[in-house]
Amino acid sequence: MTESKPSPNPGQAIQVQGIRKHFGHLEALRGVDFELRKGEFLSLFGPNGAGKTTLIGILSALSRPSSGTALVAGYDVKEADPAMRREIGVISHASFLYADLSPLENIRFFATMYGVESAEERAIAVIDEVGLKPRMHDRVRTFSRGMLQRLSIARAIVHNPSILFLDEPYTGLDQHASGILKEQLQALHTDQRTILMTTHDFSRGLDMCDRVAIMVRGKLALWESADQLDPAGFERLYLEKVAQAGRG
Amino acid sequence: MNTYLSQVKAIVWKDFVTELKTRELFSSMFVFAILVMLIFIFSINLSIVDANQVGPGVLWVAILFAGTLGLNRSFTLEKENGCLQGLMLAPVDRSAIYFGKMLSNLAFLLIMEAFLLPVFMIFFNVDLVSHLTPLLAVVFMGTLGFSALGTLLSSLSSNLKTREIMLPILLYPLIVPIAIGSVRLTGQVLDGKSLADMMNWVGLILCFDIIFISASIMTIDHILEE
Ligand SMILES: Nc1ncnc2c1ncn2[C@@H]1O[C@H](COP(=O)(O)OP(=O)(O)OP(=O)(O)O)[C@@H](O)[C@H]1O
Ligand SMILES: [Mg+2]
Repeated sequence: MTESKPSPNPGQAIQVQGIRKHFGHLEALRGVDFELRKGEFLSLFGPNGAGKTTLIGILSALSRPSSGTALVAGYDVKEADPAMRREIGVISHASFLYADLSPLENIRFFATMYGVESAEERAIAVIDEVGLKPRMHDRVRTFSRGMLQRLSIARAIVHNPSILFLDEPYTGLDQHASGILKEQLQALHTDQRTILMTTHDFSRGLDMCDRVAIMVRGKLALWESADQLDPAGFERLYLEKVAQAGRG
Repeated sequence: MNTYLSQVKAIVWKDFVTELKTRELFSSMFVFAILVMLIFIFSINLSIVDANQVGPGVLWVAILFAGTLGLNRSFTLEKENGCLQGLMLAPVDRSAIYFGKMLSNLAFLLIMEAFLLPVFMIFFNVDLVSHLTPLLAVVFMGTLGFSALGTLLSSLSSNLKTREIMLPILLYPLIVPIAIGSVRLTGQVLDGKSLADMMNWVGLILCFDIIFISASIMTIDHILEE
């Protein structure tokens, strides 16, 4: 099999072609193809074990695809160029925060890692943005789930990335906290920033996205423009697609 | 280069701030090292054997055991909340992560040893003060090799569920040349010989220090990838 490589296109933030990922005998991704334009917001749905987290891991160059190519911000993820890493921010199941440090110490540390200039001021600014300034000297270990999640956002955006990967950001948040998160995501979703979010929450996911995808068993079962979809009928469509792809 | 250094510095700084807040690493290493020494004190009859002969072995066993405890703890910190993954996402050269962790492990061990040596002096009733400079040089060379190899192997075993067991199993066989060299040198220093008379041992330890550090730089990229 010859691999055709997508040619870098400045209008596209993410170009994925034929991505596969094996874990031993298990094939977690079985050929994923899609392109996401700059500034677009993609909501990725799919049942547990579909391969969503695996895909984000590959796109953020944490793990390597078994085959296929992916360009993120024009860089091949296999090369893991530092310039590419600077374009990416990730919010995942884990907070990536040091429990014994304070928010300020954490964010300033990551700012330094990303080579952000005047790390201290920038850290304070993003902590303020997520509303944690009053607690910025407390120990992160004492934070609630919602506060941790907000601090994760601060960590992910401290270097002002143009692409954000959000892996189930609403998990474990109460209504109030997910309301705040939604507002923050809306503020982050500018023309300049591309967002890929996985979620199990249909209404949150469909709320502000431009594109909708459903992944089942390592393949995209649906790829659609958000304005082509009827939110009221989405649950039925989702269940249909999952059942269809599950048979195939 | 400037970013590289500030990244290394930031990793060391982070470990120090964490340690200043929790004091867990120092206290557990120090208490453990003292306990190891005490066990030997009670099982050796110092009126029969020469303290200069058995003391160095006991000292290094205490340092190596306590150091292993510290290495395990230092990587547990990176694993909590997936922090290591967060670091891997950043545009940081993998060797900068290695040097940061290695230097902080080295620094913590050296601080622990600074407290341990006086205790060793009292327990074994040996005179360290008159041989202080060569003794410190030996302790530093041995600890450097231990931290260099230990940091590499603890990142290697950090993905294994059996990390606490795997680290010593991998580490102790490989650290043998440095351990033997350090024990020998410490014994001779306590006997009042100068380091210049034992250049073969000094050379051996320095060689292994360099080998461990360069092997780490060469392999850390692959080791830190899942
Ligand atoms: N490191 C790994 N080793 C072995 N198998 C793995 C690994 N990571 C993921 N898998 C497998 O790959 C498949 C896809 O997992 P993944 O975490 O990507 O699913 P997901 O869509 O994110 O699911 P969820 O909605 O539960 O988060 C699963 O079958 C999982 O068991
Ligand atoms: Mg997942």
